[in-house]
Amino acid sequence: MWMALSYACWGISIVLALWMLYDWFKVDTTYSEDVLTSSREGELEAASEKHRI
Amino acid sequence: MTAAAETTTIHGDRVSLLRVLGPAHVWALGVGIVLVGEFTGWNFSADKGGTLAALIVCWVVGLLYTSVAMIDSEVTSTVAAAGGQYAQAKHIVGPLMAFNVALFLVFAYTMLEVSDAILLGDTIVAKAGVDGLTHNSFIAATIVVLAWLNYRGVLMTLNVNFVITAIAYVSIIILFFSVSPWTQGAVLKLNELVTPGNALPYGWIGVIAAFQFGIWYYLGIEGTTQAAEEVRSPARSLPYGTMAGMITLLIAAAMTWYVCASLMPWEYLGITPYPLWDAGKLTGSPLLENLLFVATLLAAIASANGCINDAARAWFSLGRDRYLPSWFSAVHPKYRTPYRSILFLLPIALAFAFIADLNQAITFSILSGVLQYTFMSINIMMFRKKWPLGTIRRGYTHPFHPLPAIVLFCLCVVTFFAIFLGFGSQLIAMIAFYFLISVWFHFYRYKFVRRGDQFSMPWPKPQGY
Amino acid sequence: MSRYTPPEQSKTGQIFDIVVVVVAIFVALWLPLKLGLAGAAKSIDALDAKTWEALGQNPTMASIWEKLGYTPETAHDVIQNRFHYVIDWPTLVVMAVVLIGYFVFLFRASDREYRDVINEKFDDK
Repeated sequence: MWMALSYACWGISIVLALWMLYDWFKVDTTYSEDVLTSSREGELEAASEKHRI
Repeated sequence: MTAAAETTTIHGDRVSLLRVLGPAHVWALGVGIVLVGEFTGWNFSADKGGTLAALIVCWVVGLLYTSVAMIDSEVTSTVAAAGGQYAQAKHIVGPLMAFNVALFLVFAYTMLEVSDAILLGDTIVAKAGVDGLTHNSFIAATIVVLAWLNYRGVLMTLNVNFVITAIAYVSIIILFFSVSPWTQGAVLKLNELVTPGNALPYGWIGVIAAFQFGIWYYLGIEGTTQAAEEVRSPARSLPYGTMAGMITLLIAAAMTWYVCASLMPWEYLGITPYPLWDAGKLTGSPLLENLLFVATLLAAIASANGCINDAARAWFSLGRDRYLPSWFSAVHPKYRTPYRSILFLLPIALAFAFIADLNQAITFSILSGVLQYTFMSINIMMFRKKWPLGTIRRGYTHPFHPLPAIVLFCLCVVTFFAIFLGFGSQLIAMIAFYFLISVWFHFYRYKFVRRGDQFSMPWPKPQGY
Repeated sequence: MSRYTPPEQSKTGQIFDIVVVVVAIFVALWLPLKLGLAGAAKSIDALDAKTWEALGQNPTMASIWEKLGYTPETAHDVIQNRFHYVIDWPTLVVMAVVLIGYFVFLFRASDREYRDVINEKFDDK
């Protein structure tokens, strides 16, 4: 039973790791680097200013 | 602001982290990371100095962390940005300090995550008792599944953390009340296990040495600040969640010590990797034993989960300011998480979980933690000097300044001495690393960093500049 | 004061920097493990008489050890494995100097960089 659990753990790890790699690849090819890295510190202030406009 | 507006019109919406968390999530992040310390780690302080030393450091280090929580709440309710202490250092001390603080954070949390995964793997292997079963698969599953959870969004991650942390916490309370703590002699035998002869087997130097692992009762509570950019009202939720977390932990630490010290001789308590699970076993109740087994696993999961969250935020902030390649500062457009940082730290955590052992991983984590607390005590003094009370709006102002800062600084010095007693050469190796990487940053890497943009808070000019 | 415009870093430069950091992390954390520097000095003070009494355990403690599956023979190595705290003054002095030197460098270099940041941020307005 414990051995089966151990193999299941390897299985889950590999599947999820592959999924993350796939999603990473998909996101990086779909969106431009400028959009992905557009987060700025102090966004709270910037966001509230944007709302007023 | 014009530059920002242009980006907005050209590229549509900016992708930032999502503001969805409340005070309960802050509590879950802080306590979730730390609570595993009651299930393993704190008891190594009994090994260093005896059972009574473990209790003394539980209180004294509790004082250290109360200072940390108070100081941190004040600064972070004012500087609310992902990266927590990193952003604080950047605004108050300067870029190089910030770079180092971020590395302290990433190391402390990644090594804590590694310890959690090893603990979880070892606990399952011990429970199974099957020949040929190794902990590697469980370690891999813990780290990968939690990274995946973090990748998919912060709200779900911390909701999960809240539930499993609460279960683990309740199990400590159940254990405490089911051993009838009000009567000694029936189940608990404190006065027979802790005698004047063995309470401090190494004398007072043992108490000082015990500081090293005493840190483990609370290490990570300051991680609450990493959520600053994802909390709905940081100025209120962060101090509230952090302080509530600290109180919760003080109670849990006292109960854990009392139950464990009354059930096990100190020589055993000091070396077991799972004191609370053993306490459950020693009560003789299968129900309690299984409850504490599950709780140990849940506490390890909650902690690793919070650590991935915090380490990734700190790494992400480094990328965002170009302290490291800006590639790391990407936010997932759908899940709104720092996904590249999460993925980058995953193999590093895995590698160390496979090669290090529990004791060593814990020491790495403690070292980075103590370096960071030393910084915090100096940081708060500079903060009050550069922006005295009344010059900027603070969400929370901590009382008795500068007493907490002084207490914190003195206790850090004692802890450094404690680490010297056990892991001196490791401490020197780590400082050498931080020193070299600082030189690299100051003389080379810093040229890629924009200067004025790093200061993002809407504050007046600091006094004395 | 003129604004400082940082150079754009090339892709290879970015990758190189990441590699530098990763290698540094592994050297710092892995090398002490490999060289066996990690871990405190613990050694076994062997006893000839292996009884609970000789090991300093009273009947309550002995009953708990037995519950945990130990005999006086197996518990001997656990109980007698002790720390030997000796303060090695030269190492302590080296550690203190390294630590203080590191923090002094950090705060001084940070302050120099910080002044640039403040100048650029507040003189631009």
